[in-house]
Amino acid sequence: MNVLYAAAVAAIMAAAIYMILSRNLVRIMLGLALLSTGANLLLFTAGDFSNRQPPIIAPGQDRLGDAADPLAQALILTAIVIGFALTVVLATVVLRAWRATGSLDARTVEATEQPDAPELLDPDNG
Amino acid sequence: MLLILFVALVGSCIVPLVARIMGKGAGLVVALFPFGLLGAFIALAPVIERGWVRSESWRWAPSLGLDVTLRLDGFSFLFCLLITAIGGLVTIYSGGYLTNRSRPDRSRFLTLILLFMTAMLGSVLADNMLVLIVFWEATSVLSFLLIGFDGRSARARRAAIMALQVTAGGGLALVAATVMIGHVLGSYSLSGAIDRAPEILASPLAAPIIIGILIAAFTKSAQFPFHFWLPNAMQAPTPASSYLHSATMVKLGIYLLARFEPLVAGIWWGRTVLITVACITMLIAATQALRAESFKAALAYSTIASLGILVLLVGLDGPAATVAMIGFLLAHALYKAALFFCAGSVLHSTGLGSLRALGGLRKSLPLTALACTGASLSMAGIPPFLGFISKEFLFEAQLESSWELIPLAIAVLVNAVMVGVAAVITLKPFFLKADHPIEIEHPESLSVAVPPLLLSLAGLVISLEPDWITRVAIRPAVAAVYRQPVKVDVAVWHGLTPMLALSAVVVAIGFVIVRYWRPIHLRLRRQGGFERFGIERMWERLLRTLLRASAALTRLVEHGDLRRYLATTIGVIAALVIATWWRIGAAPRIVIGDRPMLGDILVTLTGVAGALAAARAKNLLTAMVAVGLTGFAVAITFMTNGAPDLAITQFAVEALIVVLLTALLLIVPLSVKSTRSGSQRRTDGIIAASFGMVMFVTLLDMAAVQNATPAADWFGQMSYIAGQGHNVVNVILVDFRGFDTLGETAVIAIAALLAGSLLGVRPGKRDGDDAGQPVHYSFAAASGPLFVLLLVASIVILWRGHDQPGGGFVGGLAAALAFAILSLARGVRSAERTLRAQPSTLVGAGLVLAIVSGLPGMMGGQAFMTQLWTEPYGWVPKLSTTISFDLGVYMVVVGAVLAFLFGLQREAAR
Amino acid sequence: MGDPLVLLAPVGIPLLGVAVTALLRTRPRACEALGFVSVAATLIAAIALIRRAIDGGPAALVVFGGWPQAIGIAFAARLPGPALVVVASIIALAVALYGHADIGPRRRRRGYDAMSLAMLAAVNGAFLTTDLFNLYVWFELALLAALGLITIDRREAQIGGAIRYAAFGMVGATAVLAGIGIIYGVAGTLDLETLATQLGSGPPSVAVAAAGTLLLCGFALKSGLFPFHAWLPASYASAPLPAAAAFAGLLTKMGFYALLVIVAGVFGGIGATTAVSPPLLTTIGVMAAATMILCALSALAQSDIRRILGYQVVAQVGYMAAGLAIGTRDGVAGAVFYMVHSMILQANLFLGAGAIRRATGSWDLTRAGGMTRSNPLFAFLFAVPILSLAGIPPLSGFWAKLLVIRAAFDGGSAWIAAAALVAAMLTIVSMATIWSEACWKSLSGRRVRKVPGAMLAGMAVLSAVTLAIGLMPEPLLRIARLSADALGGTGS
Repeated sequence: MNVLYAAAVAAIMAAAIYMILSRNLVRIMLGLALLSTGANLLLFTAGDFSNRQPPIIAPGQDRLGDAADPLAQALILTAIVIGFALTVVLATVVLRAWRATGSLDARTVEATEQPDAPELLDPDNG
Repeated sequence: MLLILFVALVGSCIVPLVARIMGKGAGLVVALFPFGLLGAFIALAPVIERGWVRSESWRWAPSLGLDVTLRLDGFSFLFCLLITAIGGLVTIYSGGYLTNRSRPDRSRFLTLILLFMTAMLGSVLADNMLVLIVFWEATSVLSFLLIGFDGRSARARRAAIMALQVTAGGGLALVAATVMIGHVLGSYSLSGAIDRAPEILASPLAAPIIIGILIAAFTKSAQFPFHFWLPNAMQAPTPASSYLHSATMVKLGIYLLARFEPLVAGIWWGRTVLITVACITMLIAATQALRAESFKAALAYSTIASLGILVLLVGLDGPAATVAMIGFLLAHALYKAALFFCAGSVLHSTGLGSLRALGGLRKSLPLTALACTGASLSMAGIPPFLGFISKEFLFEAQLESSWELIPLAIAVLVNAVMVGVAAVITLKPFFLKADHPIEIEHPESLSVAVPPLLLSLAGLVISLEPDWITRVAIRPAVAAVYRQPVKVDVAVWHGLTPMLALSAVVVAIGFVIVRYWRPIHLRLRRQGGFERFGIERMWERLLRTLLRASAALTRLVEHGDLRRYLATTIGVIAALVIATWWRIGAAPRIVIGDRPMLGDILVTLTGVAGALAAARAKNLLTAMVAVGLTGFAVAITFMTNGAPDLAITQFAVEALIVVLLTALLLIVPLSVKSTRSGSQRRTDGIIAASFGMVMFVTLLDMAAVQNATPAADWFGQMSYIAGQGHNVVNVILVDFRGFDTLGETAVIAIAALLAGSLLGVRPGKRDGDDAGQPVHYSFAAASGPLFVLLLVASIVILWRGHDQPGGGFVGGLAAALAFAILSLARGVRSAERTLRAQPSTLVGAGLVLAIVSGLPGMMGGQAFMTQLWTEPYGWVPKLSTTISFDLGVYMVVVGAVLAFLFGLQREAAR
Repeated sequence: MGDPLVLLAPVGIPLLGVAVTALLRTRPRACEALGFVSVAATLIAAIALIRRAIDGGPAALVVFGGWPQAIGIAFAARLPGPALVVVASIIALAVALYGHADIGPRRRRRGYDAMSLAMLAAVNGAFLTTDLFNLYVWFELALLAALGLITIDRREAQIGGAIRYAAFGMVGATAVLAGIGIIYGVAGTLDLETLATQLGSGPPSVAVAAAGTLLLCGFALKSGLFPFHAWLPASYASAPLPAAAAFAGLLTKMGFYALLVIVAGVFGGIGATTAVSPPLLTTIGVMAAATMILCALSALAQSDIRRILGYQVVAQVGYMAAGLAIGTRDGVAGAVFYMVHSMILQANLFLGAGAIRRATGSWDLTRAGGMTRSNPLFAFLFAVPILSLAGIPPLSGFWAKLLVIRAAFDGGSAWIAAAALVAAMLTIVSMATIWSEACWKSLSGRRVRKVPGAMLAGMAVLSAVTLAIGLMPEPLLRIARLSADALGGTGS
């Protein structure tokens, strides 16, 4: 079990990194999404997953019997949602980059601005 | 003394304000302040005279070892007298000199001068070396500000920066030396360090400490190879040059060396370095003084030569050397300040700086001419001026010390040059005829003429009537430096001695130099080598090299290629993990756990296949679908391993990502050229694979040490009893670790705001058409019931979440999916109408609700998010603050996803 | 105020502010007022918190939800956290004051106030939490808030900067998350204090070493340490100025705080008590020395003030990391002192850069100038952080550098001290250039405008704090010592 999941986490993360190192912005974004999926799976393997019973207290009982690690699941849930938010935000930023430059190549999306760019001279352009 | 210093500090800030109110005469009024301080010090003379030491202490920051301990002994006392007396004269002089400046400028200048005076007093009084550094660096900064006082001139700025670079760099050397002394001795007391010099010498840090002190002193006192900043510093207004760069500040280095003499002399190369550096400095400075074209430059180089003599005297052993050092220190301060005043007056009156252009000013500046003559005679060492006596001491010290004759020969030569320079700077401007007629811009005023006169007169009076000053200042100072009483006999006539003979030789050579000044001067000027091989050039080249290195480094590091940044980052992370393993020398423990079932293997392989396909995909849509495939495979893994909550969340997230990213992919080109070359792809593959390997080994090892998870067990035990929920995961999310969820909700809320800011329609632009792309009629028809169904389901998921898989997040995602279907089928506008509220309003309200839900529990002094439960009637389901909290989360999630959905679809429609 | 309220307020008030400003987004003036009130209230709460933290009693600790410790998520008034909360709130206040003159209605409608408050909440949360995963959540909140602030004008350079920032941020966050996961897998707990005892007792293991290194790298990336610093100067330059000032003051220090807590607090970096800590400390030491020297050097050739300052921000983090790398109590105390001093100072420097731009119309040093004559008050307020950064006594920067250098000598790491001295020299050169170019040089042909009062007020707050630390270092020193004790595990 552990070997299988360790290999899966490693493979997913490696594939994600390979995508991140691309210069295509969409691919980078997808790579980051994949990376967070890999990290979530890693968290899952970190919890105790020897038991396949969901951590839900059976009706009529007041304590949990043998079940999967609920804490790890709670953490992953949080991480999934955060990863989702980041992916979507990044997608939006990529969209803006495409709208601004007409390119998806990280090299053509400038990150440095000229110190005297005229649009900057107006202290608040609002 | 603490009081004096405090008064000096406060007064320096306040008193110069007079110059804003008063025009003329402000200098005189302000000068009362330094003279008052001088009086305060003279009142302490009886203590010093008896050879006592006065010290006072005030705790500043004891845990830093920082006590403001002030210690007044003979040496400090002499300095204090010089600092306050010359400070007063400088203030008077500035009042007359700065007449062509505005009042605020004058006030600013006087403030800087007086602050500098305070800093000098602090430097020579401080016994704690940290306090010494405080004042020492303050003099450097004030010198910087004064040299650059006329900041509009590029030369002044350059000179100021150069002076600061050199002297502040020296200050750092002093810091290093101090820290090391503190490390060795455990205390920062200056007198303690000198008393315990043998301990320092015995430590392995002795050499670095001494080097630090030497660098500090040589930079401050403009010794080779750091001498070049001083001539440039002449860009400062002349009163500042006179005060800082000849009379006082540059002597701080001498002060430091004299104090640390026992330490420096204790190492075998200490004296040799001092004397060698002094001799080199003297030779260079003497030559440059002959080359110098302007009045101030000639004075500056002769100052450097004089400082060289002082360093030489510190380096020589024997009591006579100490006597000579003190005597020359005093004499030099008096005559050189006077000469600078005269140079300033000439510059001020004529606007000319070059010696060759000047001449015949005796008539228009009679008092200045007189003062200059007196001071020059002292500088040339002509009896009966004080300069003569100090020169006698100098030769006596050299003859008595155990050193070779080379330093003596150099000293004779340099003194001869001083005679020459003194004669030239007096005769040429004042007494010889000018080549061209000179226009007088400002006539001589008393406030510029009296200070130099007084100083020249002091040089004469002291040598003729030396008793008082010898008793209160010179003898105690010598005793303080030599650390035992020394007989000091200050008199003009000592009989026929070898020293007298040497003096005669000096004067004779001096006359030859004066006679042939013009040819010597012109020949030296033609020698370009001085500039080309000068240290100044090297310094500038060094700085340029630094700048070039900096630019090259920036280009190297900031190449702007995101791929290389990320590759470096990830590669370094992997490499560091491996390095750490290697350092601790632990081998991975591999435990093969239970055998996985076939289903698990298939699902996992699907996930991995998806990831690999995504990495290899040429088309972006394919890549997205492949990433989604991995997501779904992971969701199934969650499902089969007892994590239904995770599974449904992951499903919902993947579905929404597909919906949202499709909007993006509708806009951008799907099939793009590869952005990496083949070799780059190989490199990336290696980096990715090595990171993957690192993770693989780590996870295997981690699985071998599965520990108990006490918190997780506790949750299982208590979730129903204390948290009233059957679904342990949900109880953790809304109760046990509800605070995480709150933070995460804030993350989503901020993401929603980002959607608003990044996708918001610019004001004035109509948003696109409403109908959207036509969809299949069956989808349009089915969308209504589907929407209602999903919305109801989402509320059920939210509601039952506490006991069954579900909760606010998943509920919110499901509701968002409902709206997504609606907007895909009927257009964004229609979906927005159905929502009735702005998504951002939903987000804000939801966040408020989530936070406020935590507050009621605090009423009884409990912690935030202490959940309250109520079952009012028995038949109504139990109500609680966790439910309102979860509802808040639900609202934030719905609002946020919809903000993106509507925004992205609008963008896609544009 | 009781402990529950005092500990909640530094995060709760700004979070509530986020919610309400999000509701009021269409009314910029109301947003501004609300933002200011929230920040002021946070500062008051922070002061109450620091008083509670140093009152000598047992450390205040609140587990949210009222659960037992190490079960729920707890906030603790454990130094240096509360001190940093105070500093963060002061910076937020100064930036809010300054923003009155620099942030107009359009940016406020786009959520400037909410994002700034979210950043404050995130930073304060990170400074107070005792839970590893909770720390991660605050980092993500800060990342998103920073992204929002960077892209607020939607200029191309901002978008480019945001992509870099996000990519680096997410890679760093993933490293952190992976590290947390592995630690949880090994130790079964996320409570920092419990972790410290658990990791201290175990034999060296591959998983723990990997987790420690991943966390170190993730947080080093957030703090901008070499070789992970390349993204920082450019992305700071693209944010609106007040936001950049807040980044300079808060974000990198948040990363460094986490590094401090993880390496010194959890992995026993003080006195190297666990098997993993010596290699971790060596790594940090090398990173610190390289960061100090290379970034101070890089700053020299820049002419854009923001980029000079961006590099200086990173170089300063190098000093803090140097203090940590020494691995002694004095070193960590020096790092804490340095952190507090440098947060205030760097925010102030960025505010000053903005004022120069406002007055002269350029970020470029070669085209700026004449500030002393036109704005003498500004020159004074700007001189304070400049001199302090250059390490001129008696300003705070001198004591900070002195503490680190001294600790390095005493801790037997003379090479760190040497690197610190070299970097100090380079910093002096660079600061003297800024001063000479921006303040002394006269501008030919262009008039220098007056700096608005609100900007000066913001700078005055920070300059006053810098002066106060410099002239009265003792209280902060005491706090730094207590912090080192608390991190080392013997203090209260």
